Amino acid sequence: MSTPQPTPAVATRGLGKRYGSQWALQDCSLHVPRGRVTALVGPNGAGKTTLLRLLVGLSAATEGAAEVLGRAPAPSEEFLASIGYLAQDVPLYKRLSAEDHLGLGAHLNRVWDATGARDRLARLKIPTDRPVATLSGGQRAQIGLGLALAKRPQLLLLDEPVAALDPLARREFLASLSEAVAEGDLSVILSSHLLHDLERVCDHVILLAASRTQLCEDIDDVLASHRMLVGPRRNGSGTEPSVHVVKTTRTTNQTRLLARLDGPVLDPAWEVGEVGLEDIILAYMGGDDPGPTELLGPVGAVR
Amino acid sequence: MSHLVWRLHRTQVYFAAGALAALAVLLVVTGTAMSHDYQRFLADCAATQSCGDGQGQLYSGDGAIFDIVNLTMVVPLLFGLFWGAPLVAKEIEDGTHNLVWTQGVTRVHWMRTNVTWVLLAAAAWGSAMAGLVSWWRTPENALGSRFDAFDVQGVVPVAYSLFAVALGIAVGSMFSRVLPAIATTLGAFVAVRVAVGVYLRPHLLAPLTTLGSLAGSRAPSGSWVISSGLVGPGGQMLGHSLFAGQIPAACQTGGIGQKGLLLPCLVAHGYHQVVTYQPASRFWAFQGMEAAIFLVLAAALTAVAFRRVLTRDA
Repeated sequence: MSTPQPTPAVATRGLGKRYGSQWALQDCSLHVPRGRVTALVGPNGAGKTTLLRLLVGLSAATEGAAEVLGRAPAPSEEFLASIGYLAQDVPLYKRLSAEDHLGLGAHLNRVWDATGARDRLARLKIPTDRPVATLSGGQRAQIGLGLALAKRPQLLLLDEPVAALDPLARREFLASLSEAVAEGDLSVILSSHLLHDLERVCDHVILLAASRTQLCEDIDDVLASHRMLVGPRRNGSGTEPSVHVVKTTRTTNQTRLLARLDGPVLDPAWEVGEVGLEDIILAYMGGDDPGPTELLGPVGAVR
Repeated sequence: MSHLVWRLHRTQVYFAAGALAALAVLLVVTGTAMSHDYQRFLADCAATQSCGDGQGQLYSGDGAIFDIVNLTMVVPLLFGLFWGAPLVAKEIEDGTHNLVWTQGVTRVHWMRTNVTWVLLAAAAWGSAMAGLVSWWRTPENALGSRFDAFDVQGVVPVAYSLFAVALGIAVGSMFSRVLPAIATTLGAFVAVRVAVGVYLRPHLLAPLTTLGSLAGSRAPSGSWVISSGLVGPGGQMLGHSLFAGQIPAACQTGGIGQKGLLLPCLVAHGYHQVVTYQPASRFWAFQGMEAAIFLVLAAALTAVAFRRVLTRDA
């Protein structure tokens, strides 16, 4: 871990969670600096929700350790005050209105920015006097985000906040999030399987697949270090020492390698091209292309 | 924190207050009339020097209201079903525990405030109801036995209420789903109440026995009669009735069917009636013991609920 930050937003070491005999998350080591908007991506069942629940202290780790803003996630008022959490499916008290929820928040938190939350909801023209059950999914998600932000947390953790929203509501939600990030000193971890949306708002990515961490770094670095190598059909990547293959695709006369490079590609037979974040993520997740593939796990991936 | 409890449960509180007020009106109106009748009955007694069967004379037409009063027995169960069982289970079922347990108050604080308020509410409603019923039954208690309505007066309704709520909370924190929690609370409450009320209560204190003549032996007025039966001349217990073979030969001559002849004969041959009972004076001892049993259960269940919630992987 080579960041100068004394207390990262999130640092975990060998974090694991087992339910019965099933590991929901295993050997998860992360280091997320402060001030980042982090996309937590991975296929369903990769442990995204489990990781977030461990980080906010709703569940306890089976093994390993986590530090959030320099503290172990523990049920203390200091810890709870430092985080904002929006769980999957935006849990709200159905019969209460947005205004009721803001009232509850004011009573349940020492720091509570009711004015900011009301302004935000007013700008979005969300009715604050009706039971939230009568509002749309997008409006409820905005209320959930508003409640999480009103705590003025240092770290905001959002579990699939846009999964159930239509494209317009999704865009509005992410715009609200970006605005909040721009306003203050806030770190965000946002889980989703909608890669395309995340790329617009996130500058850091954690990729969980098969209950393990495959990637955890700034998106710019990910883009800079990954390349698509296209060459004549052959087995393996030859003797290239600086090429760490993430995924290999072979057609009848071609081999395509999506690889992480830590130096130049020596063999001129390889045609080296840039590759988008979505393709990189999909490669780590185990594939979009049909055909025989080989997936190298976390080799060289975890920083 | 209390604000949250109030905001989420105030509708239930209004409803429960309304129901209690309705019961109060009903009991005060009918109770006043009954008390009036009873005073007049006592005055008549004093004047004529003979009272007779006061219960039969006074309240023979009031069956419905007695049924309603006896039905207050289920009210503690309702507290358990509607206040206790959903307390934790509904939060988890709706996912709102994710919201409320990540606000600025700790889980133990949330639990403490919620449990305290719902237990207080159960105690308050239980006390009000028990007080009303105890007052309402004053004439009836004097004429008959207070033990006849043991479960709806005195202090036990309060203990039942606290037990029901604690049971509901504990079950709800284990099941995390409202309906199964309600069903289990219902079953467990009834099972424990029956086990204690039917099987344990008669044995809490050793009953007294009286050995009396066959003709007119009775337990003292106001007692709880646990059993009665015949005792033979040798002291052997014979149950409620005699088989023909058990009747001594000397008494068979008079004709077994003729009770008028049989009884004096049996008495003459040393037969007695034995009655085991709990005297009226033990009413409060029984109330105290049974209340203590349910309070201990309530405390244990509350501890279970806290443990479950605090160690839960939410």
